[in-house]
Amino acid sequence: MTDDDAFTPWPRTLAWRPVSPRLVWVRLIRLWAAAALGVAALTAARLTLPDGLVAGLAHAGTWAVLAAAAVRSWSTVRAVRAWGYAERDHDLLVRHGLLIRRLTLVPYARMQFVDVSAGPLERAFKLATVTLHTASAASDAVVPGLAPTEARRLRDRLAALGADPAAGL
Amino acid sequence: MTADRPARHRLHPLSPLLHSAKALAVSVAALSWQGYAWLGPLRWLLLVGALVAATGAWAVVSWYNTGYRLTGRELRIDDGLLWRRTRAIPLERLQSVEVRRPALAQLAGLAELRLEVAGGARTEAPLAYLGLADAVRLRDELLAAGRAPAADAAAPAAAVLHTVRDRDLVVAQFLTPEVWTVPVAAALVGYQAVIAGDWGLLALASTATAMLAVFTQPIRRTLRHWRFAVSDGPDGLVVAHGLVEHRQQIVPADRVQSVRAVWPLLWRRRGWLRLHLDIAGYARGAGEGESAPPVDTLLPVGTPAEAARLVEVVLPGAGGLAPDAAPPPPRAAWLAPLARRHLGVALTADVVAVRSGVLTRRLTLVSRPRIQSVRVTTGPLQRLLDLATVHVDTAAGSVAVVHRDTAQAWRLAATLADRPTARVAGGPGAGT
Repeated sequence: MTDDDAFTPWPRTLAWRPVSPRLVWVRLIRLWAAAALGVAALTAARLTLPDGLVAGLAHAGTWAVLAAAAVRSWSTVRAVRAWGYAERDHDLLVRHGLLIRRLTLVPYARMQFVDVSAGPLERAFKLATVTLHTASAASDAVVPGLAPTEARRLRDRLAALGADPAAGL
Repeated sequence: MTADRPARHRLHPLSPLLHSAKALAVSVAALSWQGYAWLGPLRWLLLVGALVAATGAWAVVSWYNTGYRLTGRELRIDDGLLWRRTRAIPLERLQSVEVRRPALAQLAGLAELRLEVAGGARTEAPLAYLGLADAVRLRDELLAAGRAPAADAAAPAAAVLHTVRDRDLVVAQFLTPEVWTVPVAAALVGYQAVIAGDWGLLALASTATAMLAVFTQPIRRTLRHWRFAVSDGPDGLVVAHGLVEHRQQIVPADRVQSVRAVWPLLWRRRGWLRLHLDIAGYARGAGEGESAPPVDTLLPVGTPAEAARLVEVVLPGAGGLAPDAAPPPPRAAWLAPLARRHLGVALTADVVAVRSGVLTRRLTLVSRPRIQSVRVTTGPLQRLLDLATVHVDTAAGSVAVVHRDTAQAWRLAATLADRPTARVAGGPGAGT
């Protein structure tokens, strides 16, 4: 984990919570399903088309898709590790991203509503995503890969802390 | 987990029927006449039947899975079949609640409840459908539990703060790129025509219309901003303008998120600038209760002194239009060689001022109590130079403070996210 260096000026006292490592599997399955679909389509194209430039391209495309999927798998593992959130007294911090590192600070008082969502694959791995919405469309405080109990706890805590009368509009 | 929960309500049992009736219409439209011609009447009917049965079943199951419950200060809505979602909406955050009755629902005696949460242009949480009585009762409950709905616009009787001279307006619109490119374009077309040596009537006509079209924007702006007057009303600023369509709009002073000052290149010799406003939600028309598009121009053209006076009214404590903005560190010149000197950020107790732009200079003044969230991003090149960008988000948009020193960006973000509820000035605005 080399990924905390960019943000070291921040007080070390901050306790970053990681997201569940099971999220890696959710993301990998999703990635490889997409890759398999691409490979299947390209293979079908290669087998049905007569030999020629297009078939050759399809052949090359198959390998390109596989290579891209391999690279993405590696970065997926690291990206999930880079994802983290921290609850402070007055705000929620979420960080993510590898190439472009992003950190979002959302004061609890700015919360409009909280979503807890879980797709079929996430549910199979017992995970849920908490999304904190503010009045700004640009805010992107999303915490994926939480255990359902943790997701509920976070939601209830956010809802409780966001109880001050709405300000900032 | 179902120990002491308040009762969970379902939507009205007729809702799936209504939803699938909608689906019927859609599927018939999708199959279209062409489908009818291909399939023949019997198979067409079968297909439509199958589609309706499928959507109907889906609607019933999703109706079964959808529920809402009112827990103290919160409305929780569960929905989704595969992608389950529970949305918790604090009642204090509800901006408006509307009971709507589309035609079909009216026939069935049902209504749809639409909940507007601040910021989003979309209706975030429609409850479709409820019995009419239920919908009205729930609306009243929600409104009573949340804050009271906004009062109606009072009659604007006010002291005029500023009027824009119409002559300046016309001159300013002549100094826009649109107008200045026309002679160049005309010269180009003329040159080509001379070279080619033939002046077709069609070519001439289309050139003329194209050039006229170019003028429409400045002319429309002139007409819209004619007799522009800003006055001080009981509910906030009243902005009145327009030659053809005269409009009066109230700027709710407590809703101003940010003010943008723009110095276009061609206006610079005269020292003119214009001011734009970013407002959350709608500005109310002064006459009727109907919602008008939000006011976006506070000053179509003016001198810095005039602008500074208006800014002081809408954003008290902004500290003028020439803040002592700190530029990014010199190494940022690798990423923004021309712009670096014009970038900058300054903080007062109430306002963040962000400067940008090389040719068209901009200064964005964001009201600090209105900040919704703060983001810090670092791209790969920025990381090499130890730089970061701070994004300041409000309900009306986002401003980027680019290429700051990473440590400084962090301090800035922390400062901006801090003390968000303090609506009244107070406390030092901690330097960057």
